[in-house]
Amino acid sequence: MLPSFVAWLTDPFLLGFQQRSLLGGVLAGVMSAVVGTWLVLRGMSFFGDAFVHGVVPGIAAATVLDVNPALGAAVAATVMVAGIELVNRQTALREDTAIGLLFVGMLALGVIIISATDSYTGSLTAILFGDALGVSTGDLVGQAVLAAVVVAASIVLYRPFLAMAFDRDKAELLGMRPRRAHAALLVLVAAAVIGSYRSVGTLLVFGLLVGPPAAAALIARTVVRMMLLAAGFAAVSVWLGLIVSYHLGTAGSATMAFVPIAGFFVTLAATRIRTLAVTRLRARLPEGDTRSADERPTAQRSAR
Amino acid sequence: MTRSPSTLAKASDVVLGYGPHIALDRSSFTMPLGGIIAMIGPNGSGKSTLLRALAGLLRPASGTLTVLGGDPGAARHRVSLVLQSMTVTTGMPITVAEAVGMGRYAALGMFRRMRPTDRRRVREAMELLEITDLGRRHLTELSGGQRQRVYVAQGIAQDHEILLLDEPLTGLDLVSARTIDRIIHTERDRGHTVVVTTHDLEEAMAADHVVLLNRRIVASGPPAEVLTRRHLEVAYGLGALHAPREVGSASMFLDDPARLPPGVPTPRS
Repeated sequence: MLPSFVAWLTDPFLLGFQQRSLLGGVLAGVMSAVVGTWLVLRGMSFFGDAFVHGVVPGIAAATVLDVNPALGAAVAATVMVAGIELVNRQTALREDTAIGLLFVGMLALGVIIISATDSYTGSLTAILFGDALGVSTGDLVGQAVLAAVVVAASIVLYRPFLAMAFDRDKAELLGMRPRRAHAALLVLVAAAVIGSYRSVGTLLVFGLLVGPPAAAALIARTVVRMMLLAAGFAAVSVWLGLIVSYHLGTAGSATMAFVPIAGFFVTLAATRIRTLAVTRLRARLPEGDTRSADERPTAQRSAR
Repeated sequence: MTRSPSTLAKASDVVLGYGPHIALDRSSFTMPLGGIIAMIGPNGSGKSTLLRALAGLLRPASGTLTVLGGDPGAARHRVSLVLQSMTVTTGMPITVAEAVGMGRYAALGMFRRMRPTDRRRVREAMELLEITDLGRRHLTELSGGQRQRVYVAQGIAQDHEILLLDEPLTGLDLVSARTIDRIIHTERDRGHTVVVTTHDLEEAMAADHVVLLNRRIVASGPPAEVLTRRHLEVAYGLGALHAPREVGSASMFLDDPARLPPGVPTPRS
């Protein structure tokens, strides 16, 4: 029984390309989760979603022109942010409208560019959904560098990001330069998307950007713990996603992106069940015992 | 521009707004340095906008505004802004101690570690606001009043000479309101200038200087000179007052029973 279970866990990673897909996915997951923590805390999830789609025309154009896709993605990300800023500054429309306009416009432009090529279907699928099993050693090196930069920058810029998530005006008065911090966050999101799209695709990297941080937010009491938990959730999601994908024959990238979303709802259910149990336990406490259920000794809690 | 140590702010035909929207039209006023300054006016009258301009967060669309004798942006390091509890994201996974500690970021910058002095300042601010026992609690676990005390503690922990508070007492429980009111007066006694926005006429009457506004400055000066029936009718519109109801020096109240001082019977329309 046990050996077969171990084999069930290890079989998907026996071959070199499978191990590279795992490593690539974990790197994508960790950097997306770390930077995604700030997106979730600042309520920028919709922006994040739009952003990951906004890079599609850049990658598509780079593919057509045979230049580095990362360069194309960076250019597209810049155009996307500039477009949102333009609509925000020149109109009284709410920001979500500006994001929505650029979201659809950029995605459509990407599909238009790709549709002009001979390998329309294959290229589009690779960009949108990634190619988890096609990750090369060179891709891994690039990903590792980007992951190191994203994680290091998230640590270095902790105070500006935290103050900005708290309140932009307060961040300004605390000398945390929120405009620059915001720009830095956008660069980090772009870096995470560029570093992840090969493994999970631009459509699905959003699952790793938002799913693990959202699940971590349900249980973490500090931002640092939220970030660490999110990175852990993301790594486990990638690992579990690839195992499930191998055994069920499903698409690797999509399964990797689906697992953290499912994980969020599992975490949500677990936290609600715990809250319910604690509430019921408190109701049963004798009068005069002012300790909370959590503060009571374990043995006493078990006895009840 | 000459530096005037007795003046907190001086405005000449200042216009404040966000893009095409004008929040405060051509206004000229002077705010003294020291004491408690109350800014009172109806919703949307430009109180918070003016507060942001004093903090150097919003540049005038036209006219001039000086704070501490110079550009408001240059005085930022001497100003501490206390946030309104309703405007801050409550879902942040952050403890009370960490939230108050953020007040030290201005002195520490992005990288410097907390020194014993910084820790002492945070501890003292928490003691003043009576939230020491909440230090490890999560912000989401606090009541609105407790959260507002955390934000005031955060403002106090920051090095400052001027404390700006945006509706600090609105909707608070009695304990929190009393604690924050005490802090406002303690700050004045320490020689700091406290600027509060408020909807409460009684709170404005207790200030040293009042600015009455409604999309422009209606009057600015000592409470007795500013909070007159004529000025209040201009700011709030005709029919907004009940008279006469003698309480202290005030003889009129805004047309909202919730803002009447305690003990005053609710007026009938």
